[in-house]
Amino acid sequence: MAESLSDTLWDVVICGTGLPQSLLALSLSRSDKKILHIDPNEYYGGAEAAFSLQEAGTWVNRLSLPTEAGSTRGVFRAASITKPPTASTSLSFPRAYSLALAPQFIHARSELLSQLVSSRAYRQVEFLAVGSFFIIKPASAPTSAKPTIVRIPSTREDVFSTTAISAKAKRVLMKFLKFVVAYDSDPQTELWQQHADTPLADFLHEHFKMDAELQTYITTLTLSLDGRISTKDGLAVIHRHLSSMGVFGLGFAAIYPKWGGLSEIAQVSCRAGAVGGAIYMLGTGIKNTTTTDGEIRLELTSGDSVKTRMLVRGDETVGGEVGISRLVAVIDSTLKTLFEVVVEGAPAPGVAVIALPAGAVTTAGGKVSDSPVYVLAHSSDTGECPVNQSVLYLTTLSTTDSKDVLQAALGSFLTAVSEDRVPDVLYELYYEQDLGSVESQTEDMIFHFPGPSLSLSFDDRTLGPVREAWEKISGGEAVEPDYMIFTDREGALDDDDVYD
Amino acid sequence: MGTTQQGGSQHGIARTSRARTEDEKLQELAKIEKYRQLEDQVRFHAAQNNYTPEVFQLTSKLLRLNPEYYTIWNVRRRLLISGLLSKPSAGSSPSTASFSTSPTATTTTSSDASSSSLSTATPPAPASPTAGRSGTTADEDGSQGQNKDFDILKSELGFTIPLLLESPKCYWIWSYRLWILRQAIQRLQTSVARRIWEEELGLASKMLTKDKRNFHAWGYRRHVVQQLESPELGGTSMAEPEFEYTTKMINADLSNFSAWHSRSKLIPRLLDERKADDEARKAFLDKELGLIRDALNVGPEDQSLWYYHHFLMLNLVSFVGHPTITPAFTQEDRVTYVLREIEGVKELLEDYDDKLIYEALLDYTLYLCQLEERQPEAGERADLVVWLRKLMVIDPMRSGRWTDMEKNYGLMERRLSMGDETVALVH
Repeated sequence: MAESLSDTLWDVVICGTGLPQSLLALSLSRSDKKILHIDPNEYYGGAEAAFSLQEAGTWVNRLSLPTEAGSTRGVFRAASITKPPTASTSLSFPRAYSLALAPQFIHARSELLSQLVSSRAYRQVEFLAVGSFFIIKPASAPTSAKPTIVRIPSTREDVFSTTAISAKAKRVLMKFLKFVVAYDSDPQTELWQQHADTPLADFLHEHFKMDAELQTYITTLTLSLDGRISTKDGLAVIHRHLSSMGVFGLGFAAIYPKWGGLSEIAQVSCRAGAVGGAIYMLGTGIKNTTTTDGEIRLELTSGDSVKTRMLVRGDETVGGEVGISRLVAVIDSTLKTLFEVVVEGAPAPGVAVIALPAGAVTTAGGKVSDSPVYVLAHSSDTGECPVNQSVLYLTTLSTTDSKDVLQAALGSFLTAVSEDRVPDVLYELYYEQDLGSVESQTEDMIFHFPGPSLSLSFDDRTLGPVREAWEKISGGEAVEPDYMIFTDREGALDDDDVYD
Repeated sequence: MGTTQQGGSQHGIARTSRARTEDEKLQELAKIEKYRQLEDQVRFHAAQNNYTPEVFQLTSKLLRLNPEYYTIWNVRRRLLISGLLSKPSAGSSPSTASFSTSPTATTTTSSDASSSSLSTATPPAPASPTAGRSGTTADEDGSQGQNKDFDILKSELGFTIPLLLESPKCYWIWSYRLWILRQAIQRLQTSVARRIWEEELGLASKMLTKDKRNFHAWGYRRHVVQQLESPELGGTSMAEPEFEYTTKMINADLSNFSAWHSRSKLIPRLLDERKADDEARKAFLDKELGLIRDALNVGPEDQSLWYYHHFLMLNLVSFVGHPTITPAFTQEDRVTYVLREIEGVKELLEDYDDKLIYEALLDYTLYLCQLEERQPEAGERADLVVWLRKLMVIDPMRSGRWTDMEKNYGLMERRLSMGDETVALVH
C-alpha cells in the first residue's frame, strides 16, 4: 500500500474531513481525479464532528496538550467536561450519545440542500424538522414565579393565534413580514438600502415603529450573535427563513441532519468520495511540505511520502478573532412542550430554538449578559442522546464572563421549561471556538479553506470556497453546469410489472 | 419513471412530450398492445356475462392502468353484485360459496342503472335488504355472508386508494368508493358500517390536511358527515365536532373559504342544538366577531375573511325571513353593533391600506343607513366620497363601479334636494 501511495502523482491531497473538505470530495467523486483524503484525527468531521461521550473526553484531553507536529488543533480551546454528581438518573453508555460540534440547522432554501439533492448524497441523510423559535422572558418582578417561554410568531397564522402581543403590534409585525418577503425588489429596496450597514433593530424602530419587544422577536429570528446584525444581513436571513417556510412540508422552515448535524453531511460526502475511488486515511496528518517543479511533496505522519499537484487543507490560522463560547448539556427531560406540533399535519420537530436576549441573563456574580444566548434544544429523535433525555447547545459571544453567562442561562432555561420538576443536568461539555480566516487562501498549489462559520444556521457562504477549490482542481475540464450534479449510480427502477 | 399512461387524460398530470428513441417507441407500442388485449378481454367477458373471479382480476388490472374507464367500474360493480357479494337474506338461496355465471342482477339502491347494456331479462329482484341489518335474524350463512361482504368491501376500498393517490380528482373512483360505502350500509351491521364511514371521515380529513382548500373534499366531507348523522348509521348530529373542525382548519390557514363557509352553514343548527338562549346567542356572536376581527387584523387583504365578516354583519342587518344568530336583538342593539364594527374596521386603516377595507367601510355605512331606514348623513357622505376616491386610486380597474356609486350619491343629493323620498339606496 505504501508503495502505490508514493508512486502515484496525486491530483489532489485533501487534508481534513471537515465540511468544506468533505463537500469537495463529494464534488470530485465522479471525476477521474486521483484523490488522497487524509485526516490527522481518528474520526471524520473535523471541526464539524460529532462525538460519543468517550470521543468528547479524548478530544478535550487533546486540546489541553500542546500541539503535536502535523496535527491541527484548529480553532478550539478552553474545553472542559463536567458531570454533576447530583444527577438522579445516570448517563447511558457513551455511544448512546452523538454530541455535535456543529449543530447548525439548514434552511429549506439553502443552496446546500440543492447540492445534496443534485449530487444524490441526500439519500443517505435523515432529516428532522426544526420547529418553533422561542424567547425566554425573565420572571416579571412582583410575583416572579419563573421565567416564561414565548413562541415567536413568524407566519400569519402564528401572529393570528398568539396571545402575547397586542392587536396594534400584530399589524406592525404583519407589515414587516410582508415587507421582508419582497425585500429584494422595489420599492422595498429603496427603503432599506440606505440603512444597509446600520443595525436592523434601529431600522425596525425607525421605519416600522416597532417597540423593543417586537424588535427583540425579529432580531432573535436572525440568530444574531451580538444582537446588532446589520439591516442588510438581517433582512436576508429573515427573508430566507420566511421563504423557506413550508417548502419541505407544513409548519417548518429548516431541517436538521439526524445523528449529529453537519458531521453526517461530512461523512456522507466522504463516503461518496470513497465510492468514487478516493483513498482515505484517518489518523494521518502532514509533517512537512516542499514544493518543487510544479509538484508538492508531502511527508505524512504515517511515514509515507507522497507527491501531488494540489494540496487542499482547512484553515491554519491560530488565535483569530473572538468567537463563541458553547455549552453542550445533556439533561434528563424530553422537553415535550418545546417539540409540540403546532400546525395540523406538520411533522414532529426534533429541534427547537430558544433565545435569551441580551440582558436576560445574570450570572451568579451579578454580571448581566451583553449579548444574546441561544439554546438549540435537540430531542432524542435526533439520535444524539437516549430517549427521555435531550441535548442542549448553548451559544453566546465569547467574553471573559461567557462561561458563567452560559451556566446562568442554562439554569434560567431549565427553570422556564420545568413542569413538575426542574430537569437535572447529566453532563456538560464547554469549549470556545475562534473565528478563523473568513476567506479562502491560495499560495501556489496549496488551497486553504476559510475557518468554520460560527452561525447557528447553515451559512451558504461556506459553499463558495468549495466550488473555488473544485474549479482549480478540475482546471480547464470543468464544466460549470455540472457542479454537484450527478445521476444515481444504480439503474433507475422500472415499474412495468403492472403489465405482467 | 419510464412508463407512459395510456387512455384518457389524467387529471392534473401533465403529459410531457419529448423526443422518443426508436427503442422507446417500440416499447410503447408493446404496452399499447397489451392494454388493448386486456380491454378486449374484459369487454368480451362482460358482454357474455361471464362474471368470474378471473374477469374480476382483469378489471383490477385494467382499472389500474386507466381508472377513468367508467364502463369497467360498472362491470366491476356487476361482478360484485352477481356473485362476489352475498345474496340478500330474504328468501333467496344462500349460495355464498359458489356463484353462477348467469345474470342474477339483484337490484341494489345504487345508481348505476345507466351502465346496463345487458341483463334486461332478469328475474324480478327480491326485496332489497333493509338498510342496516341488525343481525338478529341472521342465520349462520347470513353472518358468514356479512363477514365475507365486510372483507370484500374493505378490500374494494383499499383497491381505490392507490388509484386515488395518483388521480385524486377522478370522479369515477370517488363514485365507486361511495357506491361501496353505500353497500356497507345495506349489507353490514349498523355498528360495522358506521365504523367504516368513520374511517371515511378520517380519510376526508387527511385529504383536507394535504389540500386545505379543496372544495371537492369539503363537499365530500359534508356528505360523509350527513351519512354519519343519519338514522341508517345510528347517528346523531355532528354540528359541534364539525364546527370545531372548521376552527382547526382556520387556525391552520386563515385563507380558507370552504372552512369559513362550512362554519357559517353550521351556526344555525349549532345554536339550536345548544338550545342557546338570547344571552348565549349574544355571547356567541361576540366571540365570532372577535375571531374574525383578529383574523382581519393580520389578513386585511384576504377576501375569505371579509366574506365571513359580511356574513356576520348581514346577520345583524338583514334579519327578516331567515335564521339569524341573534333574533332577539333590538334595533338599538343592532345599530350599536354595526357602529362598533365600523369603528373596528377604521382601526385597520391605521396600518393598512387594502382596498377591501375601504369596500367594507362603504358597504357597512350603507348597511347602517339601511338599518335605520335613512339616507347617509352629511358626515357619512363625506366619508363615503373619501373612500370612493381612495378606491379609484387603489383599484382603477373598477373605476366604472366607483364612479357609478359616486354618481348615485350625487344623484341622491339632487333628488333629496328635490324632496324625493322614495330613493332607494343603491349599492
